[in-house]
Amino acid sequence: MLVIRPLQENDLEALYTMAQAAGKGLTTLPADRDLLKRKIRHARDTFDQRCAPEAGLYLFALEDTELEQCVGISGIQARVGLDEVFYNYRLSVTVNASRELGVHVRTPTLHLSNDMTDTSEICSLLLSDSHRGGGNGLLLSRCRFMFLDMFRKHFSEKVFAEMRGVSDQEGRSPLWDALGRQFFDMDFTEADTLSGLGNKSFIAELMPKFPIYLPMLPDEARAVIGRVHANTAPALKMLQAEGFNFNGMVDIFDGGPVVEAFVHNIRAVRDATDRIVMIRSTKSKAPEAKASGSEKVDEVMVCNGSFQNFRVTTVPSDCIGIDTITLSESVARALEVESGDRVRLSLLRGPLKDTGQSPTNHHKDTNHVGRSSRA
Amino acid sequence: MWLVRPAQPGDLTAILELAGGGGPRMSSTLPLKDEALAEKIEQSVRAFEGTTDPDETLRFLFVLENTDTGAVRGVAGIDSRAGHGQPFYNYRQDALIHASHELGVSRRVDVLYPSHALTDNTLLCAFTIDPELRGTDAFELLSRARMLFIASHRHLFTDQMVVEIQGVQTENGEAPFWDSLGRHFFNMDFETADQHSGALSKTFIAELMPPNPIYVTLLTPEAQAALGQAHEKTRPTYELLQREGFRAGAYLDIFDAGPVLEARTDGLKTIVSSRPGTLHGSESEDGELYLISGGAGAHFRCTLTPMAEALTGDVKVPVKTWHCLELDAGDQVRVSPL
Repeated sequence: MLVIRPLQENDLEALYTMAQAAGKGLTTLPADRDLLKRKIRHARDTFDQRCAPEAGLYLFALEDTELEQCVGISGIQARVGLDEVFYNYRLSVTVNASRELGVHVRTPTLHLSNDMTDTSEICSLLLSDSHRGGGNGLLLSRCRFMFLDMFRKHFSEKVFAEMRGVSDQEGRSPLWDALGRQFFDMDFTEADTLSGLGNKSFIAELMPKFPIYLPMLPDEARAVIGRVHANTAPALKMLQAEGFNFNGMVDIFDGGPVVEAFVHNIRAVRDATDRIVMIRSTKSKAPEAKASGSEKVDEVMVCNGSFQNFRVTTVPSDCIGIDTITLSESVARALEVESGDRVRLSLLRGPLKDTGQSPTNHHKDTNHVGRSSRA
Repeated sequence: MWLVRPAQPGDLTAILELAGGGGPRMSSTLPLKDEALAEKIEQSVRAFEGTTDPDETLRFLFVLENTDTGAVRGVAGIDSRAGHGQPFYNYRQDALIHASHELGVSRRVDVLYPSHALTDNTLLCAFTIDPELRGTDAFELLSRARMLFIASHRHLFTDQMVVEIQGVQTENGEAPFWDSLGRHFFNMDFETADQHSGALSKTFIAELMPPNPIYVTLLTPEAQAALGQAHEKTRPTYELLQREGFRAGAYLDIFDAGPVLEARTDGLKTIVSSRPGTLHGSESEDGELYLISGGAGAHFRCTLTPMAEALTGDVKVPVKTWHCLELDAGDQVRVSPL
């Protein structure tokens, strides 16, 4: 069974191994034991509410309960830009117009901005190669929306994600070469690594502060502004399906887009619904949690709603009744819930209409009940 | 003889020919259109006569005339206040140091700031001469006659003077700096923009340029190489102005990045080396060549004359010089060695 829970100290080695395997491109989690250790401690303090809410760093582990090992991680930073300066370029337009000259020219322009300051960021998604597929990435990513939903006062109304921008196989970023490099004599990968070690705002301070008129940049550089790396395209697609949109901000290094959404508009939040837990003993016939590879039955994320001991796992959607959800003892134990407890549910893959499959009865029920319970 | 005198409405055709000829335009401030140029000459006439509206800029236009043929072979101007009450735009080349203590990095970043700092300084402008005369005595006369005019009408001009030198252009009239910067904002080539600039005003065009500083490193290499470089054809002008005491500072033309030269008015060589004197006759036509000017306002004339060394304040020159200046013995003149 795969369960989401807060990251713990003993996840360090697993995390280090994953960070190493991820290599370059994941700047927020560099393979550096001391740094990872600090991050874990920070996350522990956050879940135990030993640090100010705005300083919170929520890191979630995906644990394989059979291996008793962390096989994935994802995170939410409560607020960005509070103890350092958070930079983006805003892609905007400058218009030059003169009726006398018959001139009306639109010039795309990058303005350095700190607009994302004080906003919550979803970040640091990493999944072990051995556990790719089967919706595990979805679970890692979307469990965060359930957390955001249930503990809204700890976060901003809007959340955003920075998407990795375009770079080639050698790690060269066309935008960096045309822009950042002109001001900071360093390779993109080197700058990227430095930035992962917490030096991003130092580097940003060396970057141009005045607007950059895009026609002055080479075509290769202009072409990648607001575009994602091919490896990140699925993640972008997932966030878009969730209701995230490009907000006009791009990364100052590689031009990768920032996507954002209001928490209340996120699909996983809008579709969420509550049920009462009913535990069925393992002897009786109960649906097993997370039957991997089962394509036929839709899966539902179930969340225990605890801040300090946040747990999410997936169960087949046919466990859902009108007011209740039937869980096996092992799932209930993993979620730390008992019969009669209230849990929150959200479809792992979203409504069926998006998947093109024909809706089955229990889905109609879910949707129906979900709607009426909100009404 | 060569004579520099105020431009008259009758000079219109000759000036138009001078301004239009010579292949690629020299980014001078002379309009190419009849009406605009006629208006400019009218402005100049008013300035020389002292009938200019007090709020208006004095815009003097001088012509170089061959008195033997009556042909006008050059034109030069002075604007008492650059910008004529509007902002006078330049780029100021400056450096920013992007430094990080944490990373131990410090890097110099060159930036072009739009600037109006030179607004209202007296501007030497509209210098256009028959290419055959470039580098000759007549060329020097035309350029320096303006300094003598300033010396004898000092109260009309400011303490600092500026002059824009045309920047680098390719053989087919393209300006690399314009192509790398201005072109993006106008969708037009340098020549078209230059024509608009002459027809409307340079300020008008300048105000359509981006108001933010420009990073030099983002310009094309050709444009970077053109920064502060004078057009080859302007070399005689540039050198003459340097001898006068003009120096290239941090300012560049916003269109072609040609240098903007600056000088302190009272430090100009012609002004420092000039002296007033009383006009007297001389039998001899020997002696060093001098610039000699006389007459106030519309009567201002300046020519070249041989002059024998005189210890007193007397200026002894041949009578034909008198005639050229339309002056008589006993009149006040000003001389400066060529």
